[in-house]
Amino acid sequence: MEETREYIESGILELYVLGDLSTEEKLQVQAMVQKHPLVKAELQEIEKAAYLYADLHQTEPSPVLRDRVLNSLLTNFADDRNLKTVTNRREEATVRKMNASSAAKPTVSVFYKYGFAASLLLLCASIAATAILYSRLRQSQQQLITLAQSNQKFANQVSFMQDEISVFRDPSFKLIQLKGTAKAPNSALTVAWSATRKKVMVDLKSVKLPETSKDQQYQLWAIVDQKPVDLGVFDGALTDTADMQLMKSVSTAQAFAVTIEPRGGSSNPTMEQMVVMASL
Amino acid sequence: MAKKHRITLTEEELVSALQRHDKIGAEALYDMYSAALYGVIVRIVNDTSTAEDVLQETFVKIWHSAASYSAEKGRLFTWIVNIARNLAIDKIRSKDFRNQFKNQELENNVGYIDQNNSTVYKPELLGVKDLINTLRPEQKSVLDLIYFKGYTHTEAADELGMPLGTIKTRLRMAIQQLRKHFN
Repeated sequence: MEETREYIESGILELYVLGDLSTEEKLQVQAMVQKHPLVKAELQEIEKAAYLYADLHQTEPSPVLRDRVLNSLLTNFADDRNLKTVTNRREEATVRKMNASSAAKPTVSVFYKYGFAASLLLLCASIAATAILYSRLRQSQQQLITLAQSNQKFANQVSFMQDEISVFRDPSFKLIQLKGTAKAPNSALTVAWSATRKKVMVDLKSVKLPETSKDQQYQLWAIVDQKPVDLGVFDGALTDTADMQLMKSVSTAQAFAVTIEPRGGSSNPTMEQMVVMASL
Repeated sequence: MAKKHRITLTEEELVSALQRHDKIGAEALYDMYSAALYGVIVRIVNDTSTAEDVLQETFVKIWHSAASYSAEKGRLFTWIVNIARNLAIDKIRSKDFRNQFKNQELENNVGYIDQNNSTVYKPELLGVKDLINTLRPEQKSVLDLIYFKGYTHTEAADELGMPLGTIKTRLRMAIQQLRKHFN
């Protein structure tokens, strides 16, 4: 009892209330207060008096300060908790106007935070979607090109076949059977020729000619006034587009013949390589 | 100015609202204590715009360190008024503040607070004059030096040319008088 009384009388509690003690002394006072109800009661009386004394001298700050202070507490407090108060105040000055009429200031900043996150997410998603769509577009374009090419091929084939059919319908065409020479007695070839249209076509399906090596080709000749006239070269194998090949044009001919020539053809026929011929 | 609706909470509710960072805690804290804190701050810094800055810093600091307060430290006001006092003292000791007032005549500050701040007299405060009379001048000067001027009791002893023990005794006597008066 005597001890607590002396403690109270020492005036340390007053200094505690006025914040005029070291941290260590403060902790000692707090320990004493917890231990001794009398000390606690005394401290509470002193605190009450100190509060009332301050309250007695209270001075109303400017009314606009209330919003300024409350905004600095409630605006962005989630983000700025660790910033210095000076920074807070500066931010508050720029933010205040926007928030002045808003009732829910903290939710605004939270809204923008989540809004920002959401828009980032949306941006990523749309970039990904664009990339996927772009690659699909490329695929589609590729398919379209392939389809157009094969369409073109079929169209060419159809028109060529119509040309071929017209060969048989057109009475001016003559089908000429070329027979094997002594050099290749089993050879044969059919050539269609229209003197009026000056068209010569080789029926590739009818080709029965001796094998050629890779650097050789067949060359068709027309014999005009005893002289051989080049009508172009052809390969024995069927091309995929047609089974008749249009050769160079000629209007008059006494005979047709085929020789085996080096690839690309020769200007004069190699007579000993003549494999088929037909005279008209 | 239209009188705003003031929010009042019990001390326990207020402390828990502050520690939750609940908006109502900030409003109640301001409504309940801003005038008392401002009264202390403006007397220490002797300049309204500086006092407003310090008051704001005080609230920011309270708001951000509310978690470190507990009832074991005493009542809430004791804790927050000491935050306010420390920030105000830091401010008047800062270089900026001293430079700001270097060229001002001393006379300019006479009666400054009374001119610029409307002191609100509540009905229960009608006895201010009586109170001033109940406190003997030597008690009041010690109390005010520490409470309203931000002196430590050691500095007050130097200022008044008294031994430390006397300062402590007078401080205690002054508060005893206040207690008697308020009861």
